[in-house]
Amino acid sequence: MRHLKPLNQKADKVVKAVETDNMDEVRAMQTVVAGCASTLDPGWEVDPFGGVAALCQPMEADLYGCSDPCWWPAQVPDTINSYKDWNADADNAGKDWRSLGTVFPSDSET
Amino acid sequence: MIERLRKGHAAGLAGLLLLTPIPGLAQDGATLLEENCAGCHAPGENGALSRIAGQRKSPEGWLMTIVRMRLFHGMEIDNDVQSQLVHYLADTQGLAPSETEGYRYILEREPAVVEEIDAPLGEMCSRCHSGARVALQRRTQDEWDLHIDFHVGQWPTLEYQALGRDREWLKIAREEVVPMLAEKYPFETEAWSTWQSAEKSDANGTWVFTTRLPSKGEAYGTLEVSGETQPYTVAGTLKTANGDEFAVSGKLNVYTGYEWRANIEIGGTTYRQVLAMSEDGSTVSGRQFLHAEDSLGAAFKAVKAGDGPAIAGVVPSTLAAGEATTVQIVGTDLSSIDLSGAVVASGGTANAYGAAIELSPDAGTDGTVSIAAGDASDKDGLAVYSHIDSLKVEPEFGVARVGGGGGSAGKVPARFDAVGYWNGPDGQAGTEDDVRIGIIPATWSVAAFNEEAEVLKDVEHAGEMDTSLGIFMPAVAGPNPERPFSTNNAGNLKVVATNGDVSGEGQLIVTVQRWNDPPIR
Repeated sequence: MRHLKPLNQKADKVVKAVETDNMDEVRAMQTVVAGCASTLDPGWEVDPFGGVAALCQPMEADLYGCSDPCWWPAQVPDTINSYKDWNADADNAGKDWRSLGTVFPSDSET
Repeated sequence: MIERLRKGHAAGLAGLLLLTPIPGLAQDGATLLEENCAGCHAPGENGALSRIAGQRKSPEGWLMTIVRMRLFHGMEIDNDVQSQLVHYLADTQGLAPSETEGYRYILEREPAVVEEIDAPLGEMCSRCHSGARVALQRRTQDEWDLHIDFHVGQWPTLEYQALGRDREWLKIAREEVVPMLAEKYPFETEAWSTWQSAEKSDANGTWVFTTRLPSKGEAYGTLEVSGETQPYTVAGTLKTANGDEFAVSGKLNVYTGYEWRANIEIGGTTYRQVLAMSEDGSTVSGRQFLHAEDSLGAAFKAVKAGDGPAIAGVVPSTLAAGEATTVQIVGTDLSSIDLSGAVVASGGTANAYGAAIELSPDAGTDGTVSIAAGDASDKDGLAVYSHIDSLKVEPEFGVARVGGGGGSAGKVPARFDAVGYWNGPDGQAGTEDDVRIGIIPATWSVAAFNEEAEVLKDVEHAGEMDTSLGIFMPAVAGPNPERPFSTNNAGNLKVVATNGDVSGEGQLIVTVQRWNDPPIR
């Protein structure tokens, strides 16, 4: 790790784990070592282990990593094609999540 | 449009909009279709509009299609015209009652169904949305093919998501899935042609119902449906098992001759009914839920007055032995009642909801009771118990969602029932011969489901369980700075119900909100 410098809390935890010989405790996608990588594909609601600790949380940290590449389009409005302006006024999801709207119009019911 | 959507909408607005009347002299549906859709959908050789002509769907399916045209393609349409088009399309290109069997839970917005969708549809379709969403459509093979193209064009990353990149997704979709769907869910079916020519029943008349309200428990009542044009007017009365009485009023749409969609007020609270009339029109059943919180609801069943004796249910449906109770047999034309089984009795007093009968089962009575009245019967409709051997939490696996806090998505609570059982002949709990007593009172609590939940203090952060109602109200949405890495108030909880020295457990996932929540998920 001499040539790598941790850039965020998660990476810092990993470095500390290496230093204290606790790498066995480092598990990808655990909330206790929060983070998200699209190639690991956690579910939107439930993680691959049937719980929520391995979900990508806080969800707001990577929400636009879901909406931009259309990752969970049935839950998160995709901004590729379907709802291009969905997050136009919410640059920082962590702070601006309240201004994100639900997309099915409530004027429409059977 | 998008600007308006981003701001979200006041809950309950849709409840008012259902009231939009369909004019008595509404334009012909085919003309409306031509005027509103032919600008983009060119007619083929037979005059039928492209794409539209080769599909059949539920009313919600057609509604979602029109809304998609609005949101994705900028279509402008008045709300009343949209409503008329949904009626027209659901009536002329809908689904036969039998074609919705087994998948009505998605229309009913049942919150705790765990689907089991076989390969390849499980990986190809329902990794994103419900399998029922597929199963409630009928298309020509060409249309299923175009449906795949639409998916790839609209959501292009689906090919490199998990369960996409590990296979030749498009090849499988075109060569395996399309022929399978065309065979499994074809456009032309005998069920549909038979239903189209069948005489449809009239919703107008008097209905007597049983249901369960989320916070008031078992209830029964009457609905009077009237009117010449849709939406029909609904009026009536609801009584709880405790004797409280509420006025009922609302509006009802009926699609495809049987799909019952009503918004009704019960004691100042708006409920929604997603029901299906039986093909002979004698019963209607499905799910009734809070309009603003569709996860809170219960089964609803009604029988129609005027066709002889019929029973919808019994309130209360479970009875502690040793107590004198007035039991309401809910139904119509019930002049004389006979009870058999653990309690034997006859008589009763007819009333507007069927007939009431006083019962005082001896302490120590355990067993089910069947009810008969003329030609009508309800086998094991009532259970009397002096003890409970085991208790199950239903649903076994529930989901709640954080919400509120100023965001557009409201909290999604979860509700559980405690169901009592007797051991049955083998004397063992949890075996096939266990006898279901029914829903019984319980004290509710939650606990950490596993070690991770313990470490993350999910019980403290995820929300609160109502100790008597079994309703879990999740915590607020958004990052929580008090949790590790400001994680959300999600949680993995054990749900515990206790009655005396018997308890049962379920699992509750408290998860994050969704911003895309159409009528069919």
